[in-house]
Amino acid sequence: MTATEPAGMIQAPSVAAVRPPLPVKMVIAGGFGVGKTTAVGAISEIEPLTTEAAITEVAAGVDDLSHTPAKTTTTVAMDFGCITIDPTLKLYLFGTPGQERFGFMWDDIVEGAVGGLVIVDTRRLDDCYAAVDYFEHRRIPFAVAVNAFDGRVEHTLDEVRWALDVAERVPVIVFDARERGSVRDALLVVLELALARTGG
Amino acid sequence: MAEGSPPPGPDPVGPAPAVRPFLVTAGRVAPTASGKPVPVETQVVATAEGLAVLDGLSFEQHDIVAACRQPQSIAELAARLRLHLNVVRVLAEDLRAAGHLAVHIPDSGVTHDASVLRRVIDALRAIPDSRGVLRDSD
Repeated sequence: MTATEPAGMIQAPSVAAVRPPLPVKMVIAGGFGVGKTTAVGAISEIEPLTTEAAITEVAAGVDDLSHTPAKTTTTVAMDFGCITIDPTLKLYLFGTPGQERFGFMWDDIVEGAVGGLVIVDTRRLDDCYAAVDYFEHRRIPFAVAVNAFDGRVEHTLDEVRWALDVAERVPVIVFDARERGSVRDALLVVLELALARTGG
Repeated sequence: MAEGSPPPGPDPVGPAPAVRPFLVTAGRVAPTASGKPVPVETQVVATAEGLAVLDGLSFEQHDIVAACRQPQSIAELAARLRLHLNVVRVLAEDLRAAGHLAVHIPDSGVTHDASVLRRVIDALRAIPDSRGVLRDSD
């Protein structure tokens, strides 16, 4: 026990009995039922937990004279898990709530994330546009991971890349959300992107 | 308390508390003076003072400090105690102000540091394909 704050922590007053790990956050996004929670559960050291998060929904429409989007806050379920790297470092995986409409703002969940994985079901490509747009807009390193349901994908990766119109620098990969090694490798693709961005 | 996983199904909405969530915060919804909510992965841990007065704390405050004998994130606390995330944020700030909890807000400059990312990458690479091999964490 020491009065010194651990590296990277701020606002750490007085005497804590135990020093907490530094939390590193990644976000798993994609449409409803695409396998986000499955992916988190495949690699998390705990059963995925569910909590309620507030997200902001921006009303769509062009007839708003004030040019200020109408916003409403919605409470949604958010699943997450974690992996202890060592006693001083812990990786958190947060699934964004599945969305049926465009315009959700996940800032509450995503703020500070090192990267994102957008899971895609090739039978329902439309469902992931919002997530792709979000990460591109926020300039968060991300990869697109096509979930191979039953070991099959309906489109080639080139077709997926074309349909989603993602930048060349964004990796598009196939993975299996149920397989631990496959989820691990998908997360590594994102982390390598984040690392490359540091110049490291 | 609050062990067990939520019911299966696609993106389930968690169990709704019987009490309206912000009753326990006396209606306050802004977790911090700045109004900017702390990140969901923010780590909270009980202080020695908090544990010393644990028996004098009531309800949610008691449950939070007791759960925080082990450091955990705001999100884990909310899930395990079945409280709304923002309720936990408000109460954690109260408990921090009272000296019962230490609240460690991650500095994104540090979590995005190359050395930190490399440690995460190295640890993930060491994870085997299947769960056949148990790692002896803890």
